[in-house]
Amino acid sequence: MINYFTLLPSLIVVLLMSQTSVLATKTVADDLGESESPIDIMGTVADHDYFTFFGTKLYLPRIFLWKDANGKTQFSTYKSTKKALASGEFEQIDHVIKPVNGSILVDFSLTSHLIYFWFGLGALALYIVFAGSRYKKGIGTSSAPKGALQNLFEVFFEFVRDEIAKPNIEGENYKKYLPYLFTMFMSITFMNVFGLLPWAATATADITVTAILALFTFFITQFSGTKDHWQHVFWYPGVPLGVKFLMIPVELIGLFTKPFALAIRLFANMMSGKIMIIAILGLIFIFNDMYGSVAAYSVSILSVAMTSILYVLKLLVALLQAYIFTLLSAVFIGMAAEEHEHDHEHYDHIHAEQSV
Amino acid sequence: MGLLAAGIGAGIVAVGAGIGIGMIGKGATESIARQPDAANEIRGAMILTAAFIEGVALFGAIICIILALG
Repeated sequence: MINYFTLLPSLIVVLLMSQTSVLATKTVADDLGESESPIDIMGTVADHDYFTFFGTKLYLPRIFLWKDANGKTQFSTYKSTKKALASGEFEQIDHVIKPVNGSILVDFSLTSHLIYFWFGLGALALYIVFAGSRYKKGIGTSSAPKGALQNLFEVFFEFVRDEIAKPNIEGENYKKYLPYLFTMFMSITFMNVFGLLPWAATATADITVTAILALFTFFITQFSGTKDHWQHVFWYPGVPLGVKFLMIPVELIGLFTKPFALAIRLFANMMSGKIMIIAILGLIFIFNDMYGSVAAYSVSILSVAMTSILYVLKLLVALLQAYIFTLLSAVFIGMAAEEHEHDHEHYDHIHAEQSV
Repeated sequence: MGLLAAGIGAGIVAVGAGIGIGMIGKGATESIARQPDAANEIRGAMILTAAFIEGVALFGAIICIILALG
């Protein structure tokens, strides 16, 4: 009985406190002229000029290469956006920073996605250097691998080698591309998993990051393309002459849609995961605004449970997307690097015989 | 109007992708049931094909987002 009596007042206190805090945020929002929605989904997902680490906002330096009013090229660095605005040389219009006189040539400013990109790659580099030093000492080569980290490394490496590289790239050729595929798999995994931290930004939920990763695959695919690969693009074998000309634009577009689809797939998957979690948690705030705090508390039970399930799903997706990106890279490279031993007319001959 | 188009488009994209991935799942489970030894290879092929369908669906989704925002 005592429990109930102590619970009830504390519950009321919590309810009252939440009510006042909501009111407080509302008036602040009204002053700023914010939109009606209590949550800003796209704003949370977008790139920022600060990054959050353990809940503290750290503002990032702004670096500009810009042209002033006299047409002179200038290079200026500021510790944060505020400092840049305070200098009087820059102004902010609709979240876009611009010089008061002149125009920006290149914006080198660090952003939250870039910082988490570096975090991911830095952590990966530390891990790989650690594992590499183990192998140099002979642990793992002349004896069994030691410790959880090195065993995990072996699991990842053997997975990439046996499941991704070997089945998709012909013959001994796979050894040449294995380092690239392994790097791609590990860096995407690290960036995705870093993005699961509640305060962190997901670097792979940015189209520029995934586009750069896909461009690597594109160039490696083209540079490892054999004669057969280019013959398929410009002079498709085994079809009538008219169709050969028809196939050229189709194949050329195909070259570019492959990396484009790679970039979009990774970006959209990581982004949609983030949006879903913010939207489901945001239901609490929306219910709070519409029906009061009691409804919000009851919705929060469902929201938190669903978010926990989604987090597990996101961990799966983080690994699965790294796998799919690497697998498709391997498939594309394997297709381009493949050498056809039989000529196509020979194939056609066999097929014709079989169909008869 | 753009929002309406985006909503309808996203729904159709989801229907198409759902049918496609459902058929892949059907095919994969049937073939695994028929030949359990080849389960690993079938699973790999399943994920690869599902990824391609997902790619097409995401193209549609991106266009819906552009419609909704623009």
